[in-house]
Amino acid sequence: METRSIETVDQATGASADRAPRPSAGRTSRRLSRDEADALGRELDAIRAEVLADLGERDAAHIRAVMKASGAAAIAGRTLLHFGVDPVTFALGTGALGLAKILENMEIGHNVMHGQYDWTGDPALRGETYEWDIVCPGDDWRRSHNYEHHTFTNILGRDRDIGYEFLRVADEQPWEPRHLAQPLTALVLAVFFEWGVGMHELRVAETTRGEQSLAELWRRSGPFLAKSGWQIAKDYLVFPLLAGPNAPRVLAGNALANVARNLWAFSVIFCGHFPEGVRVYTEQETNGESRGEWYVRQINGSANLEGSRWMHLMTGHLSHQIEHHLFPDLPAARYPEIAPRVRAICERYGQRYSSGSLATQLADVAKRIVRLSWPRRRDLEANGSALARLLARVA
Amino acid sequence: MLSSIERRVSATLRDVRGTAARRFFVDRQTGLWRSELAWLGVRSRDHARVTAVLDETPDTRTLVLEPPRGWVPHQPGQWTRVEIELAGVRTSRCYSLSSAPHDPELRLTIKRVPNGRVSGRLHALRVGDSLRLSPAEGEFVLPATPGPLLLLSGGSGITPMRAMWRTLQERDAADAVIVHHARTRADVIFAAELEQLARRRGFVVVVRLDDDPRGRVGFDEVALRAAVPDLAERETFVCGPPAMMQRVEAMGLARLHVERFTAAPRPPRALDVRAASEGAPQGVSLRIQGREGGRALSVRTDGTLLDQLEAAGERPASGCRMGLCRTCSCLKRSGTVRHAISGAISDAPDEIIQLCVSVPCTDVELGPVVRTPSDRRTNEVDERVKVHAHTPVKKVPR
Ligand SMILES: Cc1cc2nc3c(=O)[nH]c(=O)nc-3n(C[C@H](O)[C@H](O)[C@H](O)COP(=O)(O)OP(=O)(O)OC[C@H]3O[C@@H](n4cnc5c(N)ncnc54)[C@H](O)[C@@H]3O)c2cc1C
Ligand code: FES
Repeated sequence: METRSIETVDQATGASADRAPRPSAGRTSRRLSRDEADALGRELDAIRAEVLADLGERDAAHIRAVMKASGAAAIAGRTLLHFGVDPVTFALGTGALGLAKILENMEIGHNVMHGQYDWTGDPALRGETYEWDIVCPGDDWRRSHNYEHHTFTNILGRDRDIGYEFLRVADEQPWEPRHLAQPLTALVLAVFFEWGVGMHELRVAETTRGEQSLAELWRRSGPFLAKSGWQIAKDYLVFPLLAGPNAPRVLAGNALANVARNLWAFSVIFCGHFPEGVRVYTEQETNGESRGEWYVRQINGSANLEGSRWMHLMTGHLSHQIEHHLFPDLPAARYPEIAPRVRAICERYGQRYSSGSLATQLADVAKRIVRLSWPRRRDLEANGSALARLLARVA
Repeated sequence: MLSSIERRVSATLRDVRGTAARRFFVDRQTGLWRSELAWLGVRSRDHARVTAVLDETPDTRTLVLEPPRGWVPHQPGQWTRVEIELAGVRTSRCYSLSSAPHDPELRLTIKRVPNGRVSGRLHALRVGDSLRLSPAEGEFVLPATPGPLLLLSGGSGITPMRAMWRTLQERDAADAVIVHHARTRADVIFAAELEQLARRRGFVVVVRLDDDPRGRVGFDEVALRAAVPDLAERETFVCGPPAMMQRVEAMGLARLHVERFTAAPRPPRALDVRAASEGAPQGVSLRIQGREGGRALSVRTDGTLLDQLEAAGERPASGCRMGLCRTCSCLKRSGTVRHAISGAISDAPDEIIQLCVSVPCTDVELGPVVRTPSDRRTNEVDERVKVHAHTPVKKVPR
């Protein structure tokens, strides 16, 4: 019988022997044999099959209602920005537009592009062709997110979403001097999050490291430049110009709405993957993993947010990040319904089900980003750069 | 006014490189706000609105429809694909147009099939509801300058005939014999119209009822020849139940046009899907549509289509290889495949399947397969991920 097992958080990482157990929010997961992991997988498969069999009118009605709400909010917001003159309509208009963008990106765009509504046969809900209101081209997203991130979730070196290649969010990532600035980098990323997401597939970091040719970078830039050009033209040129004398007001409102969406999306996504206790994997330990073990990795690589029904909707139900990672192509509005059962399964198999309020998870993420920006002695030795040597001497 | 603005805007959008932009700004929004737009009196481009519902017989109704905006007039005899949403899923069926092209409204005449999903739903439609219509198509059409005709129908097969005779009525010299079969007098669709037609010059109308004590039940060659002595000189259009059509086809009539309401049965090679998925693997054929006539391969019922296509030298686009990312989505034209993980069966034509988790159960025909762009590193075959799809998942316990 196969005896390979998924190890617990602290034992998992190769270099952990000489390290004090790191604090983690709550319990750690029990190691599961492959048979146990597969049994867990079968229980999750059963939930999946049940939801699939039950999909119907209410799911289609839900997503269309959200699409209409988002469309209506966009129209209302833009109208208030264009024709108002006072600060109150400015605030309301910006808020409505931000809300429209958040709903469109999170509950509609992200979820539709996962193919969650492909079963309806409605071309407007088709994952392969949906294009969202953000500078990131849909096709790039489908490849980097649907395929890479969801398949190789939290595998170092394979999941380019771990810290987006420039933040250090796991102990296992080697420390570099530039990480000293990462509390600031993270804030900048939060404000300009859509640009981070949009440029993710260009692989700029890889190009600077010499792993990707400039020609390839240029080729990858094409779709991004086209899409971001459209977005800039729309939000910062056409709509302001249409507003005539109100142009500065419209421009400012659009920019603020985009930033509001950026901050929100950043918070939700970082809380879903980087609170303390969420673990990362090495490529070797996931080699040849079974479907059940893949499920176990998804559970241990994600974290949920608790909140009201409206909060869940605003996060595109990514507040149920665990359920989303288990079933990325089930309509997300179903996650709250199945969450108690997933949680019960996790408990039975001794798996950590990380969940907390937005505030606690966000504080956790912030702590982790700050903590990991600062090197430990070992990191300094490993890095060996001039700055690292200097720091080592000072310490 | 509105449509000219939209035309201008959409032409501009096309010019400025933008199918995506068009989808984003125009199609998606007009689709979403269709009912509100209809309320404002704006007609939809692909939806027809029900303006009246007529009961023809106890089980047949005619929907009178306001045509979609930009509807290209059909030819008498053609059909349209009607699409409605059943439990959230778009479902379509073909219906012959029973109105003539010159009629101001469109008509569909629908017989309620027992347990029929679409016909049942169409019978529940009310004035003001709308349904999606595809542009009319079909070869079963009245010739531009018709000679002597025979319109031969059974049951709901009379629907395309009405479009034809109404077109003929508009012309001066019609010469048509209409022979219609129905179970009882109450089941004759368009009965009043047929009676009127019988009085018009150029039309001969024969209605045969199964419960007529003097006649024989159903279609009968001898009776037809007796009723239409100049049968050989007539161009014949026939539409009715399969048994009737078969017998008409066997009569060897010279100029015969047929329309079938149910697709002719084409039994798949491995009939028992369960046996195919659990028993000894079999070889079935796989056809891929492509530019140079496509390609036909032989595949087995114990492996995924993605693996087997790759083994045959094709390079279909793929990603996760475990049914998550939909990079490998492909249109299945016909045939039955089984989902490698859930065991779900896809047997309807024209369904989107994921090659990486689809195991063929019968002969399968695929639409064009998206190839791997040669420069994408994401499409290296990753041995490691392959495991997911193949970890045998037997029965899902409940
Ligand atoms: C070119 C074309 C034109 C057509 N024009 C018309 C038309 O003008 N008027 C019209 O009423 N129909 C017409 N049909 C038939 C129509 O498309 C549907 O097949 C029919 O309405 C049944 O669909 P459903 O969804 O209600 O039944 P389904 O849910 O698909 O089937 C329910 C059950 O009924 C059986 N069944 C399906 N169709 C028939 C049938 N025709 N007779 C007996 N049993 C059946 C099925 O095998 C199944 O067991 C046309 C079909 C074609 C291909
Ligand atoms: S390759 Fe990802 S769904 Fe098939």
